[in-house]
Amino acid sequence: MRQIEASSFRDPSGYLYWDNGKLIRHISIKYKDHYNSLMESGLYTKLIEENLLIPHEEIEPQQGTPDCYKLITPELVDFISYPYEWCFSQLKDAALTTLRVQKVAMNYGMTLKDASAYNIQFHNGKPILIDTLSFEKYEEGTPWVAYRQFCQHFLAPLALMVYTDVRLSQLLKVYIDGIPLDLASILLPAKTKVKFSILMNVHLHAKSQKQYEDKPQNTKNYHMSKRNLLALVDSLESAVKRMKWKAAGTEWGDYYSITNYTEQAFEEKKALVASYLEKAAPKVVWDLGANTGVFSRIASNRNIKTVAFDIDPVAVEKNYLHSRENAEINILPLLLDLTNPSSAIGWANSERMSITQRSKPDTVMALALIHHLAISNNVPLARIAEFYSILGSNLIIEFVPKNDSQVQKLLASREDIFDSYNQDDFEKDFSEFYTIIEKAEIKGTLRTLYLMSKVD
Amino acid sequence: MLFNLSPIFAYLDPGTGSFIIQMTIGAVVAAGAFIKIYWRKIKAFLTKGEDSKEA
Repeated sequence: MRQIEASSFRDPSGYLYWDNGKLIRHISIKYKDHYNSLMESGLYTKLIEENLLIPHEEIEPQQGTPDCYKLITPELVDFISYPYEWCFSQLKDAALTTLRVQKVAMNYGMTLKDASAYNIQFHNGKPILIDTLSFEKYEEGTPWVAYRQFCQHFLAPLALMVYTDVRLSQLLKVYIDGIPLDLASILLPAKTKVKFSILMNVHLHAKSQKQYEDKPQNTKNYHMSKRNLLALVDSLESAVKRMKWKAAGTEWGDYYSITNYTEQAFEEKKALVASYLEKAAPKVVWDLGANTGVFSRIASNRNIKTVAFDIDPVAVEKNYLHSRENAEINILPLLLDLTNPSSAIGWANSERMSITQRSKPDTVMALALIHHLAISNNVPLARIAEFYSILGSNLIIEFVPKNDSQVQKLLASREDIFDSYNQDDFEKDFSEFYTIIEKAEIKGTLRTLYLMSKVD
Repeated sequence: MLFNLSPIFAYLDPGTGSFIIQMTIGAVVAAGAFIKIYWRKIKAFLTKGEDSKEA
């Protein structure tokens, strides 16, 4: 059965659809010259060589498909993620990938006609352009059509993360076509007005937009030489490269160094997780509350595709930098608030998928997490079990009892209204959704690690 | 020189204000780079090659 991708409607060059589990990109006849130019100019080969564009194969169009020049099947990305789920360096690397693609394209007489952050995905650990139809033939003299989008999707959010607050990347959830530049200009501190790149590309850019918003101009009269366009792209690249955000100072980023685990207990927990993973034998793991990914790596180092979610931008940043440094291909660190996970947004609430609509894991790991959900966020244990059971068929979960010092910390500032937060009720509530396959106390701690399998 | 944006492929609104500011930035940055190169050449000439690394 054929199902058109809900996000694939803006660009008339073509669209994506699923056909019996296969992802196919339909290329319209109108896009023929541009597609041929991409494939024949050497640009496609160069981009594949540099790992900047998702590879594809051409397939024979079915007869009678209207407006079809070609059908292509792009390589599949394991897990689709969105810019509001990326840490600072992920958004920065995605921005640099976009600019690199634009520079390479210009060397081959083409240009990017869009610069959407949603066109970049992390594929085997690296940011890559997934929209094969983003290119058009470059006409000498034309400004960069995608410049505004680049500033809204990349430059403004990065500047806000660096100069105002790293949490402002979450504005991308509200503004699906990137952060409006007038808003970014208000939110950025005055000192950014003396930084040439931010002054020009955000503050004055916003003013220029305002100046011309009600004055339709004939943009055909605008001319920008290739030299000036390349200078613009170069300056954007160095502006992005200069942006630095130091991951430090939150509760979680330093969690392992302040935790009450002894080294021996920590190793014991690692060994238990490893043995449960051997038993569950998953292909895909989601590690919820992954922190900097120490336990996620027990999975990803076993060649299991692992998504490591955490609520803390510092932890995700550290996790990503570690994965990038070691060229890890099986781990994808992402920012996610489990108490309010990414919802479906965009046109008809279907353009960007909610977290549960995306590819699902075989095994969920939820280590040292339950007390945060049950106590800090008051979620009943049965509801937690129900949510996990929607995600994956196996569960590796750690129960942290009330007398654990971490739980005591959470209860220090509030009344203990959690009578049913105990191990018996935990097992009872989870047994409604899961069968307990194994359980083991983690020596040297008060905690217990469980391997559970979903009740059919 | 004039150009035509094909109505089919300019599916994004590039924005007049965005066009104007990028043309300005492109011109300023390109001019800056030009001046920098020549400034280095002049400096190298004045210092008679003493500072040949920068030239």
